[in-house]
Amino acid sequence: MRALRTCLARFRGLFGKQRRDRELAAELESHVQLHIDENLRAGMPPEEARRQALIQLGGLEQTKEMYRELRGIPWFETTSQDIRFGLRMLRKNPGFTAVAVVTLALGIGANTAVFSIINGLMLRTLPVRDPGRLVELLHQYPGEPAFNGFSWDAYRTIRDGNHVFSDLIVGSLNSFTVRGDKLQPQTVFGGNVGGNFFEALGLQAAVGRLIGPEDVYMGYHAPVAVVSWSFWKARFDLDPEIIGRKIVVDDAPVTIVGVTQRGFYGLSEEAKQDIWLPVSLGPSPGWGFALLGRLKPGVSMEQARAQMAVLFQTVVNAPDAGPFVRRMKLRIEPAAHGVSTPLSAMLSTPLILLMGMVGLLLFLACANLAGLLLARAASRRHEMAVRVCLGAGRVRLIRQVLTESLLLSVTGSALGIFLAYFGARGLIRIFASGRQIVGLPINFEALSNPDWHVLLFTGAMAVATALLFGAAPAIRASGPISAQPLQEAARTGQSKSQKRFGKSLVVSQVALSVVLLTSAALFVSYLSHLRSLDPGFRRDHLLLVTLDTARSGYSEGQFERLSEQLVTELDAIPGVKSATVSDMSPMQGPGASAFAFEQGHLDNQHNVSINNVAPDYFETYGTPLLAGRSFSAEDQGKPPVAIMNQSAASDCFGNENPIGRHLTLSHITLTKSEITYEVIGVVGNAKYNDIDQPAPPTIYRDSVQGGFIDSQLAVRTSIAPDAVASEVRETEAAVLRTVPIAHIVTMNEQIDASIVPERLVATLSAWFGALGALLAAIGLYGLLTYTVAWRTHEIGVRMALGATRNDVVRMVLRDALWTVCAGLALGTPLSFWAKSVAASLIRGLPADNPMSIVFGGAVMIVLALAAAYIPARRAMRVDPMVALRCE
Amino acid sequence: MAADKKDVWQGTLALMVLKTLETLGPLHGYGIARRIEQTSGDLLSVNYGTLYPALLKLEQEGDISSEWGTSDNNRRAKYYKLTRAGRKRIEKEAREWEQTTAILARFLAPSEES
Repeated sequence: MRALRTCLARFRGLFGKQRRDRELAAELESHVQLHIDENLRAGMPPEEARRQALIQLGGLEQTKEMYRELRGIPWFETTSQDIRFGLRMLRKNPGFTAVAVVTLALGIGANTAVFSIINGLMLRTLPVRDPGRLVELLHQYPGEPAFNGFSWDAYRTIRDGNHVFSDLIVGSLNSFTVRGDKLQPQTVFGGNVGGNFFEALGLQAAVGRLIGPEDVYMGYHAPVAVVSWSFWKARFDLDPEIIGRKIVVDDAPVTIVGVTQRGFYGLSEEAKQDIWLPVSLGPSPGWGFALLGRLKPGVSMEQARAQMAVLFQTVVNAPDAGPFVRRMKLRIEPAAHGVSTPLSAMLSTPLILLMGMVGLLLFLACANLAGLLLARAASRRHEMAVRVCLGAGRVRLIRQVLTESLLLSVTGSALGIFLAYFGARGLIRIFASGRQIVGLPINFEALSNPDWHVLLFTGAMAVATALLFGAAPAIRASGPISAQPLQEAARTGQSKSQKRFGKSLVVSQVALSVVLLTSAALFVSYLSHLRSLDPGFRRDHLLLVTLDTARSGYSEGQFERLSEQLVTELDAIPGVKSATVSDMSPMQGPGASAFAFEQGHLDNQHNVSINNVAPDYFETYGTPLLAGRSFSAEDQGKPPVAIMNQSAASDCFGNENPIGRHLTLSHITLTKSEITYEVIGVVGNAKYNDIDQPAPPTIYRDSVQGGFIDSQLAVRTSIAPDAVASEVRETEAAVLRTVPIAHIVTMNEQIDASIVPERLVATLSAWFGALGALLAAIGLYGLLTYTVAWRTHEIGVRMALGATRNDVVRMVLRDALWTVCAGLALGTPLSFWAKSVAASLIRGLPADNPMSIVFGGAVMIVLALAAAYIPARRAMRVDPMVALRCE
Repeated sequence: MAADKKDVWQGTLALMVLKTLETLGPLHGYGIARRIEQTSGDLLSVNYGTLYPALLKLEQEGDISSEWGTSDNNRRAKYYKLTRAGRKRIEKEAREWEQTTAILARFLAPSEES
C-alpha cells in the first residue's frame, strides 16, 4: 500500500516539473529567510546572518538535485531523455536512418516470416487438454513416408487391444458439400469423428454441445453436426440461434447441435477443418482414419512403441489382409502439435534451410550496420568529448549510443513484423501451389498471424541485433576520451585498433556472403539438375486437361463414345499433333496400385502402379515402345491385355521376354478384385511421383477395353501448348457437356508443381545471396572510401616522393583484395560446413561439387574490385600539393 | 567542530520529523530542523539540506501532508502536518526502536563502557 502510494506520487512527479522546481526554490528561500531572521534576532550583522544560514543549509544545488531524484523516477527520466535525444539524432541523419531501418526491417522481417511458419507448423501445440501426452499413430511401408491413416478394423483392434492409451481418438479429414439454410452450396473441409473425439481432447462447446458416443450410435437416425467457431462467425454471423438449424451435408440432412470453442481447427494447426460429423455418418475411407492416442499416466513413449508394435502384428496378419498390408510397420510419434499433414512433411526441410539463410543474412546486416555506426562514432568523437567535459559518465555514453541502436532495431522490427505477415502469407501461398498440397484447407491465420511466441521471438531479435551492431560502436564511441579530441576535432582520426575492428567487420560480411552465395549456387544447381532429369517422356509441347467426371451423369458406354469423339476432334485442332485420355498423367502423383505376379506364381508378387490409357497414350506422351505392340481397336471384346513398363517387366519376369505371358493383378487399389492380363508390350519407364526417384513399376491397361472413365486429357502440340488451350476448352465443352474442366496446365508446369519447395528454396537463396553480396560490397566500399579519405595525406606524400598513379591504385586494390581474401579464408570452411548440413537435409544434393564455393569466391572477388573502383579513382586523383597543404 | 557531533541517518531522521510534528503540530521545514537540533541538546548537526528530501519522501509515503501558510513573523512558508497514517507509523516505529535499543542495551551492559 505504502509502496503503491509512493509509486503513484513518483509517477505524478514526472509531470509539472517546472512548477515543482519553483515550489522547491520558494520553500528553500523561505527556509533561508526564517534562518536569517533568527540569526538577526540573535544579534548577528545581516551579512553574517545570511552567510551562516546558507552554510547550515548545505549545498543548495545538491539539495535540489537530491530532491529531484526522489521526486520522479530517475531511470525513466534519463531513458526518456536518451530516447528523445536518440530520435533527434536519427532525424538529423535521415539517409543513415532510412538505410539502417530498411536493412533491419528486411532482415528481421524475413526471420520473423520464416519463424512464424515454423511456429505455426512445428512449434505451436494444439489448443486441447494436455497436448504433451498426445501421440500420433502412423503406418509405414518399407522405404516410403509414414502416413497417419488406418482402416476401421485396424482402429478397433488397436482400441480394444492396447493398454497404453487412456483414449484412442479417431477422425478423418474429408471435404463436404454443404448447403441449405441460407447457405450457398460450398465445399467445406471437416471430419468424421468417433464418439470420444471431443471429450478425449478436452474441448468445450462455445454454444450447444459437441458430438458424443450417442451421436455415433444413432448415426442416420438422428444425424448431427458440429461446426467450428470461425465457420459460425463467417457463415452464421455468430447467430446464437444456430443450434437446431438443419443443413444438408453431402446430400444428407443433418442438425447442427453445437459450435467448438474458438481457435480449434481440428487435429492439425495448418489445415483448417470447419465441420464435424459422427463417424457413422461418413463414407468408410478405407485406410483413411487418422488415429491419435493419449498416453496413460506413467506410460513412456518407448513402452507405448514396444507394446503397439506387438499389437500391430495382429492387425497386419489378419486373415483377409493382403501381402501389401503385411509389410506395414507402425510408428508412434509425439503429436502435441497435431497430426502430421503433407504440408508439415513437405515444408520442414525447406523451412529449416530458409531459417538458416535468413539468420545468416541478419548477421550480415548487423555487421554492415555496425560498420556504418562505427564510422558515425568516429565522426561523433567531438560530440562525445563535449559530453565528457560536461560530466557525462562512460556508462551514460554507452547507454546513449545503445539507446540509439535500440531505437533503430525496434523501428526496424515493427516494420519487419508488418512485412513478415505478408511474407509468410506469400510463402505459404507458393508452398501451397505444390502438387502434394493442392486442395488442402490451409489455415493461413494460424501460420501467418503473429502470436506471442512470434512477438517474443521478434522482440528478442530486436534486442539481440541492437546489441550486435550497437555494442562495439557504443564502446568505441565512449572509448578513452579526454578533452584532446576537442582540440583536433577537425581531424577525424582513427586509432589502429579501431581500423582493425572496422576491417574485421567487413571480413565477416564477406565470409557470411560467401556462405550465402555458395548455398545459393548449390540450390540453384540442384534445381537445374532436377529439371534436367529424364522423366521418361517428352515434357515440352504438352497440354494437360483434368476433367471433373464426378457428376457427369453419363453411363460408362456413353462416356467412352464421347471421349473417343473428343480425342478425334482435338486431333483436328490446328497445332495439335495428337491427343489422348488416361486415368493418370505422368508426374501427377501416386495413383492406383496393385500386386502383380505371373499367373499362378503367387509366391512372387510385386507392388505395381496402375494406369488406364487410351490407345494413343504412348505416342502422345512420347514414351517409347520397347517391345511388342501398343493397344489397338482389335483388342475390343477380346481377353484383357496389358502393357508393362521396363521396371515392372524386370520385376515380374526378370530377363525373360514378357510378351505373351499372363500377368495377374490382385488387390487393385486395396480391393480384393483379381484379374489376369495377357502382356502385349513393354514401354520405357516414365516417372509419376518424384522427378528424382526411379519410375515406379507400372502396368498399363486399355481404357477402351476395360471401359474405364478417364479424367486426364493430354494434347501434344506443334506450337506453344498454351496457344491451343482456349480451343481445347471449347471443344471439350461442346462434346462433354456435363463434364467441367477442373484445370489446365502444361506438362512443364505440372513438373514444376512437384518441386515447389526446391524451386522456392533455389529462388529465395539466390535473392539472399545477391542481397548478402550487395551488403558486403557496400560495407567494403564504405571501408575503402573511409580509408582513402583518411590516408589522403599519406597518399600525397607518397606521390610527392615519386609514387605513380598506378602505384596508388594498386595500393587501394591490394587493400580490397586482402580484405576479401581474409573473408574467403573464413567463409570457405563455413561454406563446407553449411553444405554438409544442407546435404544431410536433402538427399541427392550435389554437395561434393566444389564449384558452388568457387562460384561464391569468384563473385566476391569481382564485387570487391567493383567496390574498390570509386575509392581507387579518388585515391588516384589526389593532388599531392593540395593534400599536403591541408595539414 | 563537527567531529563530536553525529550525522543523522535517514531512518531515524524520519522518525524525529514525525515525532516533532506530533509534539508541536504543523510546522515548516526550518522549524523542524531547529527543533530536532534543540531536542538533541545540540548533539546532532542537521544539514538542513538533507531535511527536504526526507520530507518529500514522507509526503510521498503519505505520512505527512503540506500546505503553504504564513509564519509568526509574516513569512510565507510550507507547513507540514501529520496524517493518520503518520501517527500510526510513529507508534509502530517507536515501538520497534525501543525494542532494538533494549536488545542492544542488554548486549552492551556487561562490557566496559565505551
